[in-house]
Amino acid sequence: MSHIHISLEHVNYSYDTSHSVLKDITFTAREHDAIGLIGANGAGKSTLLKLLVGLNLNYEGSIRIEDIPVEKNTLPVIREKTGYVFQDSDSQLFLSTVKEDVAFAPRNYGLSEDEVNRRVEHALANIHIEHLRDRQIYKLSGGEKKMVSIATILSMIPDIILMDEPSIALDPKNRRRLIHILNQFEHLKIIASHDLDMILDTCSRVILLSNGEIIRDGNTVDILSDKELLEAHGLELPLCMQGFSQISH
Amino acid sequence: MSKLDHALYEIHHMDTLADKDQWLNRIHPLVKLIVTVSYIAVTVSFHKYSLAGLLRMGVYPAALFILGDLSFTDTLKRLRIVLPLVCFIGLFNPFFDRQPVTILGMFTVTAGMISMVTLMLKGIFSVLAAYLLIASTSIEKICSALRMIHIPSILVTQILLTYRYISLLLEEAGRITDAYSLRAPKQKGVHFKVWGSLAGQLLLRSMDRAEAVYQSMTLRGYRGEFYHGGNTRISKKDTAYLLVWSCLFAALKLI
Ligand SMILES: Nc1ncnc2c1ncn2[C@@H]1O[C@H](COP(=O)(O)OP(=O)(O)OP(=O)(O)O)[C@@H](O)[C@H]1O
Ligand SMILES: [Mg+2]
Repeated sequence: MSHIHISLEHVNYSYDTSHSVLKDITFTAREHDAIGLIGANGAGKSTLLKLLVGLNLNYEGSIRIEDIPVEKNTLPVIREKTGYVFQDSDSQLFLSTVKEDVAFAPRNYGLSEDEVNRRVEHALANIHIEHLRDRQIYKLSGGEKKMVSIATILSMIPDIILMDEPSIALDPKNRRRLIHILNQFEHLKIIASHDLDMILDTCSRVILLSNGEIIRDGNTVDILSDKELLEAHGLELPLCMQGFSQISH
Repeated sequence: MSKLDHALYEIHHMDTLADKDQWLNRIHPLVKLIVTVSYIAVTVSFHKYSLAGLLRMGVYPAALFILGDLSFTDTLKRLRIVLPLVCFIGLFNPFFDRQPVTILGMFTVTAGMISMVTLMLKGIFSVLAAYLLIASTSIEKICSALRMIHIPSILVTQILLTYRYISLLLEEAGRITDAYSLRAPKQKGVHFKVWGSLAGQLLLRSMDRAEAVYQSMTLRGYRGEFYHGGNTRISKKDTAYLLVWSCLFAALKLI
């Protein structure tokens, strides 16, 4: 059995004391898991991902990443292992050129400039955006920024990938590439998305959130083909499955 | 283009200039910083009547415009707000200092006129030198140069982030006013009744954005020290550049 990478026990979280956003979240994720995090708008997907990298800290319960509790003083270690892609690329990218931004993390980890360059080239080549290397970030389109955001975490060579709506803003070809990259990545990944078809293509396990609670945690195909379950929690069948039901109409 | 877009365009335009792969841009940032600072120091140290000496200092900006392939008219346009201000400082000298110096035909040149011109030139040259530094060096490189001379990291990071946050703030303001004007098409500008709430929105949103950017930095290993890649060693070419200019400045000052 591969060892446990992420474990949450009875986690509660609220931004302000009035209403709690996450309620009694418990799950574990292992080394090679590919987990899709789904749920309606406001279900708490982004909040959960942020908890895992310590962007929200005052939670109740226990969160451990590779057996290290997520606390203020353990954050540097945890973040070095984890690549996190923001829902909004404008938050993720802040330097002037693509190359600088992709090189930011490796430089912070004290790698030599040669190694940094290798990492940057590799990350850009991996998702076929070498042509963007010297472009200035403010001149990129929304989808191009998304691809660059993904490159910025690939250059970290993380053990865990967390992505918040990665396929948003991508054209079909880039979406394909993203799916390909995700499938290549063998370590643990958790992907929050409304793109259920992508989840179906990349994840073997799905966690369904609704109003901050885990409603279901199980096999992707079982959950994503359960029309009643999905509709009860504000979602719909993946497009590829809707096709069948319409034909049979 | 709206005023906001224009301001953003200007900032980004400077980034584009600084990003060009060019001889002047490739000179080590620390060397350029030292040359610029010493140029300004020498320029302002000229005596208030030594107009001829000061005029010779114009050699440096002129040379840099050529080396850096920068457009002089563009620069004047960009500095159109600063330069008149700088010139304004000397404006009253002719009234205080009426000592005649020479007579050119019908026209009596007073000492005050000369000191006015030197004061203006000092201002113009200093502003130009600073502009030329920024136009040929990215903000990241300038900051790395500041770190090399041991300016505290906190201060340097402040400068860097302030520069970045200005664009974020302008972008945010642009988005808000765009969204406003799309839904209030018949108004010119923003109605004063919503100024308050728009400004509040802008503040909150840019605080959020700044927070998110900071989070993105810490998530990727930022611990208060900004590492700039690229060559940190000073090459022979850089040393030569430094020597040539400092000798020239010294010579211009002494003759
Ligand atoms: N910074 C914040 N302060 C207060 N409340 C917040 C904040 N961010 C999110 N919330 C609230 O927390 C709840 C969960 O938000 P979250 O962003 O995690 O949802 P989500 O599942 O990612 O939704 P979406 O699919 O729209 O991205 C929402 O009800 C939201 O109003
Ligand atoms: Mg979200």
